[in-house]
Amino acid sequence: MQPLSEPALLVLLSLAEQPRHGYSILNDVEIVSSGRVRLSTGTLYGILHRLLNRGWIERFEEEEGSRDRLAYRLTSTGRRNLRLEVERMRQLTKLASLRTARREA
Amino acid sequence: MLEVYRWVLRLYPDAYRREYAEEMVSVFRDAETAMRRESVPTRFWFRVREIKGLLSGAVREHLCGFIRGQSWIPFRRFDMRSEFRFPRSTISLMLVILAGVVLTIEKAKGIQEKYGAGTNVTSVWSTLPQSLLVMVIAMCVLAAAGWAILFALRRSGVHRLSNVQTWPEQR
Repeated sequence: MQPLSEPALLVLLSLAEQPRHGYSILNDVEIVSSGRVRLSTGTLYGILHRLLNRGWIERFEEEEGSRDRLAYRLTSTGRRNLRLEVERMRQLTKLASLRTARREA
Repeated sequence: MLEVYRWVLRLYPDAYRREYAEEMVSVFRDAETAMRRESVPTRFWFRVREIKGLLSGAVREHLCGFIRGQSWIPFRRFDMRSEFRFPRSTISLMLVILAGVVLTIEKAKGIQEKYGAGTNVTSVWSTLPQSLLVMVIAMCVLAAAGWAILFALRRSGVHRLSNVQTWPEQR
């Protein structure tokens, strides 16, 4: 599995909490990144398109028969892959802390 | 602004537009409404970001569509790293280099005039736009030639050679 880009990871983390529609994802990504990552709609839908194609997320109608309120949620594959990615990053940061601490000592 | 947004959306591939355009417009409308409370510079940069995102997204989708269609191309990097973005630092660096080159040429011209060289030196500013245009056209021609070669190879069926079995399969 290829490492995820930061915007894609933030989108997945946003959906890990709860299903969201596009505008809600945009806002949440900005909030969780403390305003550092501001996605445009073009970038957001590019990411959603890739994640849908890979089967990591799915789209559903929030209200029956309303295409205006399409929302996204993680699939079990997406949740599993997100967990793997987070675990990979945890190991990486652990290694980085160890190595930099040893260097400073 | 919504009209401009809709217009730029037309640059996306048809299938992509059918799938997401309506939703993207709806999200953009919400975001633009929320931006009305912000200052003028913030609104300006929001619009720049949106248009830039759409343009790069359109290029990316066309490129991914092309690469997906050419299954024999050995690299899949564009497919795997779909969120790749051209680093801004590269653009700044290129501009610094260009400024340096122009400055050097102007300086050289000054020195040449000061020491009374016989040849007539023309200003670099008058020829710069044409030179840049020629460079851009040359790069486009090269890219088109590269694409034509890849397309010709694809049509010739050379990529199927890797599927040819040269000895009987052992069971």
